[in-house]
This record gives sequence, C-alpha cells and structure tokens, in this order.
Amino acid sequence: MGLGFVVGVFGVLILAHAAYSTVQYRGLLKIMEEEFSGPPMNVVIELLLGFVLCMWAALTAPGKFLSIHPYSEENRIVSLPASLDFMIFNHRGKALPLEMDVKLKH
Amino acid sequence: MAGHNDSSASEKKSSEATNDLPTFNTENMQSNMKIIYYSRTFMSIIGGVIAGILGFTSLTGFIFYFLVMAITSVGLVAKAGFSIHSYFGSWNQIVLDGFLSGLMSFVLFWTYPFD
Repeated sequence: MGLGFVVGVFGVLILAHAAYSTVQYRGLLKIMEEEFSGPPMNVVIELLLGFVLCMWAALTAPGKFLSIHPYSEENRIVSLPASLDFMIFNHRGKALPLEMDVKLKH
Repeated sequence: MAGHNDSSASEKKSSEATNDLPTFNTENMQSNMKIIYYSRTFMSIIGGVIAGILGFTSLTGFIFYFLVMAITSVGLVAKAGFSIHSYFGSWNQIVLDGFLSGLMSFVLFWTYPFD
C-alpha cells in the first residue's frame, strides 16, 4: 500500500511537470507563430516514465486480489464459521414446554 | 450431510475451473471488483492527462483510450497471476467492468487542462 501510493504520487508529479512544460512550449509556439505538431522529446520521455509509474501504482496500490473459491487454501480459516458442519441447532429451549396450545386456544 | 460436503469439496478441488453449482465467496469477489474499479478509474484519468498533453484530437484520443484500457486489462490479468477463475467469475468482469465510467473521466481529463 505505502510504496505503491508513493510511486503513484511521484508519477502524477512527473505528469504535472510534463503538462507544465507543454503549456510553456505552446506559449512559445504562439509567440513564434508556428503550429503545434507534438510535444518535444523530453516531454514524451517524461510522459512514458509517468505512465509506467502510474501503471505500477494502479496495479499495486489498491491491494491484493482475494480468492473467491470457498474451499481454496487462502480461505480455509476464514470460512470455518460459515461452514454448515459447525452450526448447532440444539439449545435448552427444547426442554421448555411448548406454548403452541395456548396460542391455539386464543 | 457431512459426507455430501466432503464429496463436493473434493470435487471442487479436482475441477476448480468448471463448477456445476457456482458458490463464490461474495465478500472477496466484491473486494476484487473494487480493486479493478480503482485501477481502471486511475488509469483512465492518467490516460486522459497523457492524451491531453500529447495533443490528440477526435478519433486518435479514443483509440488511445482503448489502448490504455487494453494495457490495464493485461496488467490486471498479470496481477491475478493469469488464473482468472480463482479470483473472478468470468472474463467480462476483468475486461469490461468500469469501461464506460472510465471513459467519462478520460474525456474530462483529456479536454480539461489544455487549450
């Protein structure tokens, strides 16, 4: 969690710097009255680096996948209380007299 | 009852991919879906920013979005260790889920910060 998050923040910062460079480059082009065909090379490299870092962060930061099979190795201990074999339906209420007759008379 | 459960357990272990009666751990599946959703949203935002900086227009930008989503899908599959069926019900969940909502944020960040 921590490392992926830091890497993601770093990638976003790199992208922000690339955006700032592009805005400045566009301003320069406007002054020189030329058309924008594409950002300069170092910005492209920055974009690639930021993309890879953010990709890595997006894949690691949210957490690990958990197995969905109830009988898999990872879920063995967790799924014990959910198992039907461990349910107990006997309790001391069985010894008390039934009140069904009373309800029927009313 | 116990004997029935034991037999179904051994059957599940023997054939994990093809379940006759799919019983999944729903909490874990929802957690997996949430992870997928986070990854897709973040990657569509990043893709939008990159497409905006590169100055893509009209169709090229959408092709770029499809490309980014394909790369993200491959990354998610690789994160799942290429065994989709132990973490997800079907391929649609990992490939298509969150596609349209990601498109919204992609277009927002694609057109937002640049003139």
